[in-house]
Amino acid sequence: MDTRLANTWRLTVNEKRFIETALSSGIRIDGRNPFEYRKLSIKFGREDGSSEVQLGQTHIMGFVTGQLVQPYRDRPNEGTLSIFTEFSPMADPSFETGRPSESAVELGRIVDRGLRESRAVDTESLCVLAGKLVWAIRIDLHILDNGGNLVDAANIAALASLLTFRRPECSLGGEDDLEVIVHPPEEREPLPLIIHHLPIAVTFGFFSSESLLVIDPTHHEEAVMVGKMTATLNANGDVCAIQKPGGEGVLQSVIMQCLRLASRMASDITKKIKDAVETYNTERALRKIKRHPTSITLDGSVNLKEKLNEPSGHNVVNELSRKHLEKPRLASAENASSPGNNGEGESKSSNFGRSSRRDGATSNFVGGAASWDPYSRGVDSDFLKASLASRGTLTPKKKQQDPTGERKPNESKPEESPGDVIPTTSAMDVSETGVHKGGEKTLKDAVKPKHKRKKKAFSSTADAS
Amino acid sequence: MEAKPSTANLVDKIVVPGDVVLDLSSMTNQTIKLGGGLRQECDSVSVIKAGKLRFSKPNKYWVESSQKRYVPCVEDTVLGIVVDCKADNFFVDIRGPTIAFLPVLAFEGGTRRNIPKFEIGSLLYVRVVKANPGMNPELSCTDASGKAAEFGLLKDGYMFETSTGLSRMLLSSPTCPVLEELGKQLSFEIAVGLNGRVNAESPSTVVLVSNAIMNSESLSAVQQKIMVDKLLQRIK
Repeated sequence: MDTRLANTWRLTVNEKRFIETALSSGIRIDGRNPFEYRKLSIKFGREDGSSEVQLGQTHIMGFVTGQLVQPYRDRPNEGTLSIFTEFSPMADPSFETGRPSESAVELGRIVDRGLRESRAVDTESLCVLAGKLVWAIRIDLHILDNGGNLVDAANIAALASLLTFRRPECSLGGEDDLEVIVHPPEEREPLPLIIHHLPIAVTFGFFSSESLLVIDPTHHEEAVMVGKMTATLNANGDVCAIQKPGGEGVLQSVIMQCLRLASRMASDITKKIKDAVETYNTERALRKIKRHPTSITLDGSVNLKEKLNEPSGHNVVNELSRKHLEKPRLASAENASSPGNNGEGESKSSNFGRSSRRDGATSNFVGGAASWDPYSRGVDSDFLKASLASRGTLTPKKKQQDPTGERKPNESKPEESPGDVIPTTSAMDVSETGVHKGGEKTLKDAVKPKHKRKKKAFSSTADAS
Repeated sequence: MEAKPSTANLVDKIVVPGDVVLDLSSMTNQTIKLGGGLRQECDSVSVIKAGKLRFSKPNKYWVESSQKRYVPCVEDTVLGIVVDCKADNFFVDIRGPTIAFLPVLAFEGGTRRNIPKFEIGSLLYVRVVKANPGMNPELSCTDASGKAAEFGLLKDGYMFETSTGLSRMLLSSPTCPVLEELGKQLSFEIAVGLNGRVNAESPSTVVLVSNAIMNSESLSAVQQKIMVDKLLQRIK
């Protein structure tokens, strides 16, 4: 008890007076403008769906996980979204373990309302078997450091992790198509969530004198302010939610002014989030390709890895789309699952010479079956030959991935195609460079330096809105 | 412990807990004052806190280190925040492990008739009188001879918190580079507590001064000068 008394952070009378007088002349203690946000940095972890957001001194981590559950009775076609917050005592001496405090519950509620009521996350796409199995998405927000304005930072963390989360692909199989098969990530590339827009929360602080308004209050300002309001909007200017938990009353004109300011801030922050997610996606794609063991340098050209690092994700895919016509599509290798395939691919590729090299190639196309094959244990070459020949006419398209889930119509394709054709048209991730392993001599002629591979026009990445 | 290095070797060097600093059996009839971070065990004085060993004439030794937490030490001048008022004592928070007591009579000319009234949250400049481990420290608003000597309530200004090392640097003489540079162009008043609290007062430039001081935590003297120059140029 004594230590708790000693550890509590206290506001001095001097500070309170100073902050208020400084604000009336438009000065904030950290030198910001009254309508300026602190420095925002968004980082991602190794796993899909984990993000770390720093807004000045405030530090929050977000994790997204998914599970297959039974849907609610009144919504048999929709998945569920739930938000859990953890106010760690290391963030602030006033946070305690155990039952969440009022502000913790409020924070969770604001983030939840922004995502759910505005239908930012498409829950219908999370349905696997209507009435039986749906995806339950769970967002965990951990507060690591309380430097003020937890709501905004938590919201950004939740959005960033939702955008980078990938759920495993499911397909129906078994008899009667009633059995759900969840494909591990090595087999089929996991899918991103469908997110229609990004609701951004902007918090305002009101002070005792009229018309004193700040955006993104720090910890000290929060202790001094007499009222606060959080407005959740998206970049299109739609107001998703407004929360004003008690405190001093404000004029209607002030609220309208706040909403106008908030929409400006929201577009800035949306852009920052999208940029960060895009760099993450590019890096993710590159990471996948780096793991590919084959880097053919038979024609003495630059090593694969170097090439990959130079252009940005966009350039890579543009080049691909430019040069391809019809080539059986094989998505980027997730090699862990198919060592046999790799070996096969490698040996075959070494026979190729420069067949898989392109001028200024940004990806290495080695002949062979895709590692996303269900038949990835190893395919014999005769089978491949036959299938490739038929494949060439059947599946000319290489689907580009789009977080808005154009995968859905594409995914049905492999199921449709005849059973003996290897479904190689698994979806590719955003801005991923395709690694094509063609192990057949028959492909050699097709795989000339000018790789003609048909691709869907690459649509701009991560445009969730 | 076999090796007992002579004290001259360890002064101003980094020591860690367990190091023996003084061998008392070889010094007789001397009074030695031990400050924070040192403990006497029979015939030797050993270190209990990691940091730099310091010695000041004629006979004071202590260990200095920089942390965000403050460990109360006798004769330290600190900035405290009033938490509560009781019959005999004010409860004052000095950023240590426990709340400190400030007797209501520990003011110059203090009697039962003129007990000062502090509101909760007022900032005081006080001196630590007693600081034993496990007990609440005791403070006083007078110096050793009973005079007020600038102790007491700090009325205006802006208080911010730093590490103990930075506050020591601000109090060192010759004046630390940040304060010197700032003083060349601006006029301000600061009260520095050894517990890491600094109260800055100035008619117009408090924010600048406080940010300059907070940024100078890990900078060398030259870097501090450059940083202050850049800050001052920006406001011109």
